[in-house]
Amino acid sequence: MSNDSFQVAAEALTHSAGKISELARPFVRFLPVSGASVSTFGSFLGAETISATDARAGRVDELQFDLGEGPCWDAVLNRRPVLEPDLSAGSSASWPAFLKAIQHEDIGAIFAFPLLFGPLEIGAVDLYSVAPVSLSLEQQRQTLALTAIVSRILLRHAIFDDDAPGETTTFSRRVIHQATGMVLAQLGTTAEDAHLIIRARAFAESRSMLDVAQDIIERRIRFTALPDSAEGNS
Amino acid sequence: MNETVRLEQLFDAFATLADTLVAGYDVLDLLQLLVENCHDLLDVDSAGILLENAAGRLEVVASTSEANTLVEMMQLDADAGPCLECFHTRAIVSVPDIDVDSFRWPNFCATALAQGIHSVYAIPLRLRETTIGTLNLMRNERGELNQRDIRAAQALADVATIGILQERAIRDASTLRDQLQHALSSRIIIEQAKGVVAETANVSIEAAFALIREHARSNQTALRLVAQQLVTRDLRF
Repeated sequence: MSNDSFQVAAEALTHSAGKISELARPFVRFLPVSGASVSTFGSFLGAETISATDARAGRVDELQFDLGEGPCWDAVLNRRPVLEPDLSAGSSASWPAFLKAIQHEDIGAIFAFPLLFGPLEIGAVDLYSVAPVSLSLEQQRQTLALTAIVSRILLRHAIFDDDAPGETTTFSRRVIHQATGMVLAQLGTTAEDAHLIIRARAFAESRSMLDVAQDIIERRIRFTALPDSAEGNS
Repeated sequence: MNETVRLEQLFDAFATLADTLVAGYDVLDLLQLLVENCHDLLDVDSAGILLENAAGRLEVVASTSEANTLVEMMQLDADAGPCLECFHTRAIVSVPDIDVDSFRWPNFCATALAQGIHSVYAIPLRLRETTIGTLNLMRNERGELNQRDIRAAQALADVATIGILQERAIRDASTLRDQLQHALSSRIIIEQAKGVVAETANVSIEAAFALIREHARSNQTALRLVAQQLVTRDLRF
């Protein structure tokens, strides 16, 4: 698949910030897959299918939530993509209940990419194909690049819907900026992402950003860089 | 301090301030230099500058100690304290004994006393009708600041104010307010850079600022530029 279609997909994602129900569609534009779904779950956000390109993609998601097993869970747990290019050839994975449940869904290949943001688990992107198919290393790399964009969009959406007021005094901003600097050095991210991570932490713990920032500065909270999702050697 | 030595240092301070006022200088660097001059030359324990931001409120832009406690105290001062009064009346406000005035500004006074500060001087940064902010001098002792130091502080403040207003006249594309807001916005990147250095060098936020300032000075680079490079990790120490 050409780089052009990847660029188009990336553009579409970047400009779809307002409509998270459309987040799955760009993946089917440049990958040789039949359908895609984007879901949130894990330690941070509630389990929910955010976007699905078709009913089957939505069912694949729901089944994994109901059964508590499946590629999307493994992808987040191991922080790396799960690639099953040919389910008929016998899967190496250990999701007996899930595989049994989808045997009448006419699915030949299934892939799951984790949605992560720094240390935060956001959810996963599930991709399926009716016929067996492999993703090239380049396609895996491009998919990871898109999942990074999706993670940011979902995180912003979750947090900024719940915008905490009363945190805008000059002094609290100053402390938050200092904490942002510490976190960006801890995680090797940009200032913008570090700020978002502090905000997410405050959101998850129902605390003010200033509180969390003080804990960071006084070294009671420390973020540790986790390994990036492994590329293409799953 | 020996009077002759002191005078020489004061001349040096003016000369350095004047040197700073070359084309394209950074307002933030000028103000940082000003507070440090006050600290070194005058009988004060700490000094800070507040500028009026785009929303019309006073905001800390430079201080001798970057300890958060001091900055927080000055910010309380900006909400209700001698520096706000100084800004509004456009005249020097002297508080020789904070204990006595604590009923007027309870939050500010309690915070100041908790840090061992007992007297405060607020000097307006003004030129004719325009007041852009205040210079605050803080002392651990009670009592009036001596007249000689007041005059020196006012003179240093005037040079800096003229510098800022003149710089605006030179590149009149930007309004005064834009320019002051730019200096205040630079604080964001400087605060972030302090965090980066606190983390990587494993030092306090205050010590981190000292390292950044040292680097800027020895490389004759604007604080803001050094901070920018630290935040993007193009510079590490």
